[in-house]
Amino acid sequence: MTRDPDRSGELFDPGLQPERTALAWLRTALVLTVGSLVGLRVLPHYWGPVGLVVAGAGALASVALIGLTVRRYRLTHRRLTAAGGRIGRLPDGRLPALLAGLTLAAALVAAALVIWVALS
Amino acid sequence: MTDPRPAEPVHGDPDGDPLATRPAVADRRFPRSVYGAGEEPDPRFSLANERTFLAWIRTALALTAGGVALEALGLGLHPQLRLTAAILLIVSGVATSLQAWLGWTRTERALRLARPLPAPATALPLAVVLLVVGVCIVLAILLA
Repeated sequence: MTRDPDRSGELFDPGLQPERTALAWLRTALVLTVGSLVGLRVLPHYWGPVGLVVAGAGALASVALIGLTVRRYRLTHRRLTAAGGRIGRLPDGRLPALLAGLTLAAALVAAALVIWVALS
Repeated sequence: MTDPRPAEPVHGDPDGDPLATRPAVADRRFPRSVYGAGEEPDPRFSLANERTFLAWIRTALALTAGGVALEALGLGLHPQLRLTAAILLIVSGVATSLQAWLGWTRTERALRLARPLPAPATALPLAVVLLVVGVCIVLAILLA
């Protein structure tokens, strides 16, 4: 029985959907990273060391997100182009949940900051 | 143009019909509410769902950043109206981030069960709130 060829170098979809999705993830992670870097500039100004810790945590999380994004694309690509033609399962909702949680946290920090600035 | 190979169907609802066949390897992906039932959809639909989710997230981040910028920059605008607009923008950011997650889970579940896709629940309220924000900002400029 012949071995199935390694398809990892092939495209799964001529419409490049996995690639477009990976780029969308990177775009989003980039926006979050830039926002957290701005936060790194702004939060310590208002909140001192606490602000530095909060902004630093956000910056670290958003950089980690970039790495997780790349990993997600590689996993997706491998599973979609798996040998034998049987498509594996796509990655699940853990990374979306993490990203939604980070975005929510950023909005809550922003709300606290705005109220703080308005009251002072 | 090659067709993508169909995904292997995952039969049975692990929490339901005892006569339904169990999948060879149990699907333990998160969240259970999405992956607990139904079949693997065309991967391109799942990927499109992800891109929609990401678009909502970017919207949430933009709204949040707008609210912060409005208050942080001051710009000599009327204080109470400016604060109102900023708070509304950030609340919209919170709501939109929730919409991103809920929309993703509901759409993925609908894809797996071959049901009609849900409409984004927060789209209309968001548009209304943004209209109010726009009016607040115009008034904040006029009454500076």
